[in-house]
Amino acid sequence: MPSKKTRRWFILGVALVAFVVLIANTGLWETGLRFLFPGETTVIHPRASLLVLVWEHIQLVAISSGITIILGIPLGIWVSRPSGRDFLPIVTDITSFGQTFPPVAVLALAVPVLGFGLMPTIAALFLYGLLPVVRNTIAGLHAVPSDLLDAAYGMGMSRLQALFRVELPLSARVILAGVRVSVIINIGTAMIGAVIGAGGLGSPIIAGLVRDNLAFIIEGALPAALLAILADQFLTNIENSLAYTNEPV
Amino acid sequence: MIRLEQVTKRYGETTAVNQLSLEIGKGEVCVLIGPSGCGKTTTLRMINRLIEPTAGRIFIDGRDTATVDAEKLRLSIGYAIQSVGLFPHMTVFNNIAVVPQLLLWENNRIVRRVGELLELVGLEPADYIRKYPSQLSGGEAQRIGVARALAADPPILLMDEPFGAVDPLTRERLQAQFIHIQKEVNKTIVLVTHDLDEAIRLADRIAIMESGRLVQYDSPEIILSRPGSKFVRDFVGADRALKRLSRISVKDFIKPAAAVNVNQPKKEALASAAGHRWLWVVDDDEQLIGWVDTKTLMQSVSTKEAMDEGDAVKISILESATLREALSRMLELGFKHIPVVDDSQRLIGEVALGDIEAATAEGKG
Repeated sequence: MPSKKTRRWFILGVALVAFVVLIANTGLWETGLRFLFPGETTVIHPRASLLVLVWEHIQLVAISSGITIILGIPLGIWVSRPSGRDFLPIVTDITSFGQTFPPVAVLALAVPVLGFGLMPTIAALFLYGLLPVVRNTIAGLHAVPSDLLDAAYGMGMSRLQALFRVELPLSARVILAGVRVSVIINIGTAMIGAVIGAGGLGSPIIAGLVRDNLAFIIEGALPAALLAILADQFLTNIENSLAYTNEPV
Repeated sequence: MIRLEQVTKRYGETTAVNQLSLEIGKGEVCVLIGPSGCGKTTTLRMINRLIEPTAGRIFIDGRDTATVDAEKLRLSIGYAIQSVGLFPHMTVFNNIAVVPQLLLWENNRIVRRVGELLELVGLEPADYIRKYPSQLSGGEAQRIGVARALAADPPILLMDEPFGAVDPLTRERLQAQFIHIQKEVNKTIVLVTHDLDEAIRLADRIAIMESGRLVQYDSPEIILSRPGSKFVRDFVGADRALKRLSRISVKDFIKPAAAVNVNQPKKEALASAAGHRWLWVVDDDEQLIGWVDTKTLMQSVSTKEAMDEGDAVKISILESATLREALSRMLELGFKHIPVVDDSQRLIGEVALGDIEAATAEGKG
């Protein structure tokens, strides 16, 4: 009898394989889209195959989210320590600003400095995804009961030991939830990268908007939505495997 | 062992602890008690430097704690707080193993030690090591907390309301176990509580505090019989004579009891009464099973027929009980004498109400 966890990973694996098979099958897409939009002359975006577009999209999201996580979590930890507590308001303000600032505007401002393509897109996605990660890290650490920290320090743990043995394990669930939200937001937002030539699933959508071709838009939007669902499940599974739960095991 | 010299802690304008001096001997249980806000917890937390004193010095074994690395100091002092202090993401094993792991013990040694400690606190190791704190009852969690504090065998134990978060019945059982464990491990213990009965029961010496000052530091007997000030007298309450009884063991007041075997013939039984109106009845294993009125016995055929059956647990007390429990049980039952039994309910003797009255009168002053 496989455990609930193994079963979840198995289902995700099957869904992933199904997804790859689906996007690799250009013929199927063409037939389907032609059936839906008989009036269009072309229904498949000619720039690159769907497989390539999805791969580009994943790269955009992986790099930007990677940077977000690598910088965001330590940033959240730092402003929760006594040494960084003075910077807490500033950091929350800046990350909030990063999310209220439209990514398109970031692109417009970044292009003169970073040029076209990947770099400005990653910068925009990084800024946009930082808030949920930093916020949740701060909230997760803040929610650790002070009695537990009292016990930890009282037993002789150093600050670093208490952080890694008590605080992070207890807040892992909240932090990972922030990561998940950030990644999902980025999968949607990464579409705009196509505007400045970063590729990804935004390419057919932008082309479809320009040429008023609904088939192109579907070709970009549908895989992106599926990708978001898969990423959500993947990260939920990681949360469930790594994080401590209150439920008895 | 532990010596506080003129220790003061100020928070801005308020003084939490004011020039407190206290000496706690090796193997002693010192209970800090007082109304809330009197500085007892602050005092406790200054001993392991979770709080740094504003002024004054604290010595452990003659060494000024301010000169020792705070984390090293804490690793050598057991620390137990209310059950919430268990780490919910760790199993019982890992909770107890925290300090040994910080001290980099070998794994085999940790496994052995955790087993020993669980047995010491009366929990079956195999049943508990894999459990999580959320699967424990309040009493079990409390005991794990004590086991965890004892993990690296520290000579000193600091306990902040260790029996605070459990129901009264469990608390009493934990206190009895605490006394038993302390006899075995003989630690120097500083315990904070707001429960006077707990202090009287557990302490070798009680330190009563009032707004940051130590007002009296004496054995429970002296605190109860000779309170040094009006504050202490009010604090220990009007029933201090009664409270004193809970420091006195039944053991020293046991007298031989008149008893008959349930199968003894009526005549023999009446002969052994020797002037007693009531006789305790025991079975062949010397276990208490009831009592008999000699007047009824004279008119009956046998001891068995005349006797009033009674559950030994309800009509007797254990030899390990205190006079207070004995008195309470007597008032409840309306007895002037109460039988004393051992752990297997064998009759050892009895305690008389008159002797308890005498014991109460003795300490007056």
